[in-house]
Amino acid sequence: MQTATDTQPARSGPASSLLALSAPVAMGYVPLGAVFGFLFVQAGAAWWLAPLSSLLVYAGAAQYMMIPMLAAGLPVGTIALATLVVNLRHIFYGLSLLDSLPRGRLRRAYLVFGLTDETYSILTTLPPGTSQRQITLLVLLNQGWWVLGSTLGALIGASAQVHLAGLDFVLAALFAVLAVEQWRSRRHAAPIWVALLSYALAYPLTQRHALVVAIALSIAAGILLAERGRD
Amino acid sequence: MIDAGYAITAIAAMGLVTYALRALPFVAARWLQSRPLVQRLGRFLPSAIMTLLLVHSARGLAQEHPAGPWPESLAVALVLLLQWRWRNPLLSILAGTAVYVVTRHFSTA
Repeated sequence: MQTATDTQPARSGPASSLLALSAPVAMGYVPLGAVFGFLFVQAGAAWWLAPLSSLLVYAGAAQYMMIPMLAAGLPVGTIALATLVVNLRHIFYGLSLLDSLPRGRLRRAYLVFGLTDETYSILTTLPPGTSQRQITLLVLLNQGWWVLGSTLGALIGASAQVHLAGLDFVLAALFAVLAVEQWRSRRHAAPIWVALLSYALAYPLTQRHALVVAIALSIAAGILLAERGRD
Repeated sequence: MIDAGYAITAIAAMGLVTYALRALPFVAARWLQSRPLVQRLGRFLPSAIMTLLLVHSARGLAQEHPAGPWPESLAVALVLLLQWRWRNPLLSILAGTAVYVVTRHFSTA
């Protein structure tokens, strides 16, 4: 996910400029966190599991994805593998931030943990000279919104049972949003066509493992294309 | 009910996997940067994987009811369009989900 990050930081003071930078994230994280907490509780989880996962995992798409998987009682290994696939893109975030993250051990460790899509896109647009303390506070603030939203949603979900077929479309919608942002930043249609073709090939072969097979095919195609693009 | 012990184990595993992925470039930066193949895959794979996850989750929904895949196609197209045009994730997700819930309700009623 990507939120509009072109908001100019206010010049009045560090605290208000942090809030200004974090506001677009809050607009997305509080409601989307709330939908997550709500769906999780409706699927049969205790309310406190929602904030717990927002504290420990802190990855929107993976958290949405785990709801049907936990409800279906899938093995933890399968859930971990699915998390790996959904969050693979995060490997490539850190590469562009290597030099700008604080040196302090604890701080650095936490900032690495907090590198969600939105936080990443904000950190890449920070004015040079932003203090390390401000960067840390910003990342904390962003996670705070996400935890707050999921807690609120979980508490609402625990107080009322709603049966609305199709609410789980939220996950597909979230993937669609992330896909658009990936397409926008790449400017190449090849990954999209490779993905669609891989899925079209994998699906008739194995409905159950279509995703895994399609990912393997896409990786193979990506390697082939990369080899060819070298010369 | 989702068993709390099972959920905590899964959440811990997911947290570890996610943290490992986010930390990898900081631990193995030199290795990653010295491999042009990794660089190229880094440009190629995120797009491909998001496209796959989108197709896979929409297909899963389409198999849950007899009217599929029309409500899914319509709602996904709407989300893509809104996100491309306005770049507001909340708007895209909420509008797409609302349209999906409504069309699915009426197409299966």
